[in-house]
Amino acid sequence: MNVKRFVWTAGLVASVRVIAGGGAAVAQTMVIRGGTILTVTNGTMVNGDILVEDGKIVEIGTNLSVPEGALVIDARGQFVMPGIIDAHSHIAAESINEGSVAVSSMTGIEDVLDPTDINIYRELAGGVTTSNILHGSANPIGGKNAVIKHRWGSDAEGLLFKGALPGIKFALGENPKRSRGGRRGVPRRYPATRMGVIDVIREAFTKARAYRKEWQDYEAQKAHGQADLVPPRRDFELEPLVEIMEGKRLVHAHCYRADEILQLLRVAEEFDFRIATLQHVLEGYKVAKEIAEHGAGASTFSDWWAYKMEAYDAIPYNAALMTEKGVLVSLNSDSAEEARHLNQEAAKTLKWGGLSEEQALALITINPAKQLRIDDRVGSIEVGKDADFAIFDTHPLSVYAVPQKTIVDGKVYFDREEDAERQKALVEERAELLEKLKPATEEKQ
Amino acid sequence: MKTNVLRLCIASALIAATSAAGERPKGPDRYAITGARIVTGSGQVIEQGTLVLEHGLITAVGASVEVPDGVWVIDGSGKVVYPGLVDALSDIALEKSEASGDAPFSRGPLDRPGTTSWAAAADALVLDDDRVEAWRNAGFTSTVSSPSTGIVSGQAAFLNLAGERDEDLVVATPVALRVNFEPNANRSFPGSLMGVLAYIRQVFADASHYRVSQTAYAREPRGKRRPRYDRALAPLAEAQVDGWPVLMPGHWEHEIERAVRLGREIGVRPVVYGLHEGHRAAEFLASENVAVLVSLKWPEADEDRDPEAEEPLRVLRMREQAPKTPAALAKAGVMFGFYSDGLESPKEIFASLRKAIDRGLTHESALHALTLGPATIFGVDDRLGSLEAGKIANVIVADGALFDEDTRIETVFVDGAKYEIRKSTDEGGAP
Amino acid sequence: MILTRTLTILVLFSGAAASAQDDVIAITGGKIVTLAGEPIENGTIIIRNGRIAEVGANVAVPAGAEVIDASGLEVYPGMMDAVSRLGLTEISSTAATVDTTELGDYNPQLTAATAVHPSSEHIPVARANGITHAVTAPGGSGGFGVGGPYGIHGQASLINLAGWTVEEMAVKMSVGMVLHWPTIQTSTFDFSTFSRVEKKFSEVKEQYEDRVAELEDWMDAARRYAGESEKETDLKLEALAKVVEGELPMMIMADDARDIKRAVQFAEEQGIKMILLSGRDAWKEKALLAEKNIPVILGPTLRLPRTEDEAYDKPLTAASELQAAGVRVIFASFSSANSRLLPYEVGNAVARGLPWEEGLKGITLYPAELFGVSDELGSIEEGKRANLIITDGDPLEIRTEIKHLLIDGVPTSLDNRHLELYEKYRARQ
Repeated sequence: MNVKRFVWTAGLVASVRVIAGGGAAVAQTMVIRGGTILTVTNGTMVNGDILVEDGKIVEIGTNLSVPEGALVIDARGQFVMPGIIDAHSHIAAESINEGSVAVSSMTGIEDVLDPTDINIYRELAGGVTTSNILHGSANPIGGKNAVIKHRWGSDAEGLLFKGALPGIKFALGENPKRSRGGRRGVPRRYPATRMGVIDVIREAFTKARAYRKEWQDYEAQKAHGQADLVPPRRDFELEPLVEIMEGKRLVHAHCYRADEILQLLRVAEEFDFRIATLQHVLEGYKVAKEIAEHGAGASTFSDWWAYKMEAYDAIPYNAALMTEKGVLVSLNSDSAEEARHLNQEAAKTLKWGGLSEEQALALITINPAKQLRIDDRVGSIEVGKDADFAIFDTHPLSVYAVPQKTIVDGKVYFDREEDAERQKALVEERAELLEKLKPATEEKQ
Repeated sequence: MKTNVLRLCIASALIAATSAAGERPKGPDRYAITGARIVTGSGQVIEQGTLVLEHGLITAVGASVEVPDGVWVIDGSGKVVYPGLVDALSDIALEKSEASGDAPFSRGPLDRPGTTSWAAAADALVLDDDRVEAWRNAGFTSTVSSPSTGIVSGQAAFLNLAGERDEDLVVATPVALRVNFEPNANRSFPGSLMGVLAYIRQVFADASHYRVSQTAYAREPRGKRRPRYDRALAPLAEAQVDGWPVLMPGHWEHEIERAVRLGREIGVRPVVYGLHEGHRAAEFLASENVAVLVSLKWPEADEDRDPEAEEPLRVLRMREQAPKTPAALAKAGVMFGFYSDGLESPKEIFASLRKAIDRGLTHESALHALTLGPATIFGVDDRLGSLEAGKIANVIVADGALFDEDTRIETVFVDGAKYEIRKSTDEGGAP
Repeated sequence: MILTRTLTILVLFSGAAASAQDDVIAITGGKIVTLAGEPIENGTIIIRNGRIAEVGANVAVPAGAEVIDASGLEVYPGMMDAVSRLGLTEISSTAATVDTTELGDYNPQLTAATAVHPSSEHIPVARANGITHAVTAPGGSGGFGVGGPYGIHGQASLINLAGWTVEEMAVKMSVGMVLHWPTIQTSTFDFSTFSRVEKKFSEVKEQYEDRVAELEDWMDAARRYAGESEKETDLKLEALAKVVEGELPMMIMADDARDIKRAVQFAEEQGIKMILLSGRDAWKEKALLAEKNIPVILGPTLRLPRTEDEAYDKPLTAASELQAAGVRVIFASFSSANSRLLPYEVGNAVARGLPWEEGLKGITLYPAELFGVSDELGSIEEGKRANLIITDGDPLEIRTEIKHLLIDGVPTSLDNRHLELYEKYRARQ
């Protein structure tokens, strides 16, 4: 295919009604008019309309009538895709790693969400509407995740993707075995090898199994009416692990090498649960068969490699090859910067591995939605789903695609034209604030 | 002033200016302040009234109170009388705690990192803290002092700032439990904010479990394994059961919300301290019916900062808007107190208060937040915080309206003992 | 089909170009974007002795020439990564494989080419995406970071991305002296305690001034050295003398507006030629840079804004802003593993207003001019080295595939470690 610059651009520059953006976003009936709709799950509709009510998609078609008072977003000449979903992010949190212990499952990102992190907005400006905020990779079993929507301007609780199945971070390989401590009287932390990493996980689940039994015994005794019972101590380190074994919590496991991936799958099977996603999984292509058999999803980078030993066999064909071998694959960012152009990262799979456009877009929409078990709500443009969209001026798989608007729950949270105004307002506000703060400074001196 | 009190005044002023905090002025302990404007702090202002203080207590207050026989009468004409002020969180009169850098290595929640919940401020008082006198001279008759290091620092005490012995200072103890969200400095558990929050959740869950298992064991020890003794847990369980205020930090709106939610989750009564962005959280706090302590150390730019480095707007906004927090809290009906938060002198405290007043805080609300507000938050409003008969005689006499820049505190009574403030005690003296 | 390895007519060398002295190659039928005039539709390029002998619409193909049929394809000058770490680093977290930064603050005597590892796996990987030659520069971490410690790190070398030895690869052993300008950071991250360390501005400023003074001392010493007729050889001063005598440009990495201004002032006072590297705040000083005619080799455009309140797209729009102000803009990866992403760094700048041809020149002609090799490289013109790429479309576009690549006139393999692993594991049943 001979791809030309601007080949997708119909040359139409849409004129757009000024709409509320930023923190002042308001839900209202909305019609997105005349765009090329990339539904991801049901093909592409040219010159299509989307009707949104109460934050949900209620109709997709051509020449839809505009309800009284509805906001019309002119998307003629533009491309409307589902809001991008980043399955691996560390934004909007005030701490990421509790690396002091090998098992930090008692911690959770939800506790430390920072709704004022500017990266929430910056990523909106890259079309991202949902992110899986994960604990870091400092320990074999890390902390609990938080799936958020990029509702910039809301409070911490308002960011949460309500109803998303909770998850937790695991990590294998170089990061967790990079034994911390060993300085200033701080003892080194176990583990220091991949053997130890796997051991920590088996040990933790062995304890969790005993803990679960302790509670089951207690509940049984209570059911039998035994008096004077003291419930077991609640252990917030082990409770999430019990939830994993009961299928109530998803495991998102940071991993690189094929061998460690395989070992984790086997440990999970030993304790009778499934890994929800293998994260990074840069050598996933080597054991794609085993990953597919286990049923784990794989969330990888487009083309990062060689930044450490275990990333030396990373190949840009990973996503495509795993897809080809039947694995449910997504592309993630792990970076506030990379997240701003996940559409471009997806485009790389057209070239490295030959995925179709729809397959490529699925890597950053419906596939991560499935991996996070939120595909009933987001990840494609379908009637009944959340009205989360990214609107680009040209096909989002082009390097030249510039996000124009990002909509979450039927509210416009990013608008490129408005952003220019916003920037000006910020500059003015800064000047005003500095002026107001001046006398206090002088008084001080 | 009448001549019969003049001599005494001079004597007591000399003592106040030179003595250590512990030495009470020797003299009578029955006074009447007459003809003064009395701001009771409980909603009433008596334009020309009399206040009688006897044996450490207020015995009468009103416009037409008869002066009992044998009291020392102070002519209060042209003076304004207020309840003594409260610094709602400090470490005044406390032994210096050890540096937190030396904290022992901790491998997890069971090592109870940063937890000294058994440590009571009331048991570690020192009288040779210069601030006792400095604060008192400025009208602060009380402070809530608390251990301040670690994660669960310990138990706060409500202190009066005068006494001969340590024990004299204590009005009530414990009045609160102080919690910080500071990770362990030595990279042992918890080494992050989320680790700290997770630890707090666990240790309070352990506390309620401790109470249940100890109670069950006490009821019938035979046939049961003895629950392990844990000195860290009993005070936490008490805080849960008795509804102690649990002081948790939060300046930014989301930090304030986080603290409140965590407090609810762990079954305690949260009182948030800090609040520099509290103006944004006022409605939330009102709806949650949560009281707060507002730091008077308004954020300022670092003097030795890079002049070319661009500070985030967020930071500039907070710096500019923090002083409007008290007015916003008052408007929303949030109960709050003020605390000095490391300010070095009462002069700075009053300057900070005036900033809040400039940003819309009424004198009445300001006074409340320095008197009855904190007294109520810490559960001692039945004994102090306002000028009412029967309450502790913590009283200040000023030569004008309390928050006016040129007003001078002339006389301070703590537990009915009179301290005359000399004009020249500038540093740490009158505001 | 992306796996176009049907380079039947091409002699393939894994990782190296052969000597092409006797071969005559003709590229026919393609659209030739010469960057030296209008594109030629259905043009022909004749390559002799590794150089472009003829280029045009009506050029006859000599008998016996190897013909590369470029019908339906497009021919461009090979891309040049103007600052890379290619050959100097393999696995950035593994110190044993990293040769980017020497000990000590002042090492003008070092030359990148002396440490280039010709069989680095990064070289064929970069090549597979159309990078045919690169400046490889000392300094930096070898990893994701663009910057690196303060100091004079040594001389950068221009290499072809093919050759059995660095001598075969080298186009020019020394193209510039790399200096990372000191900067003032009051807040730094201390990995030993894993916490932020805040320093007083006045203290850091003092250190900054000391360093600038030290640099000035070095330049003075080099100038004295250059002026002395009888002297004991001093390798450091000998190297630095090339800068004061105008033989080498000083490639000054600076990001803060303050540092950029100071560096420009320094270059002016020292009378040396300056190239600004990275330049994250360069847009703030565009008027100064334009006035002083100082080119910028921008760090990756795909970066986060510098400050919380900076426009979200500032790193993307900075290139067009600079270009519009009259500043010469060149792009670079400042990387080894990510050198292949160079065209996308440009593509993103083009999406935000940089004229497409300016962007393309920023990774071909302009860096060649900057490093004094525009008679050799940078455009498709007679007499220049035949470093060419043949693509199925716009080379800045992500999905565009490189179909053929020539270095010094030699059709060079697009094979690489990644493709090999792909094929190996794709075949796994």
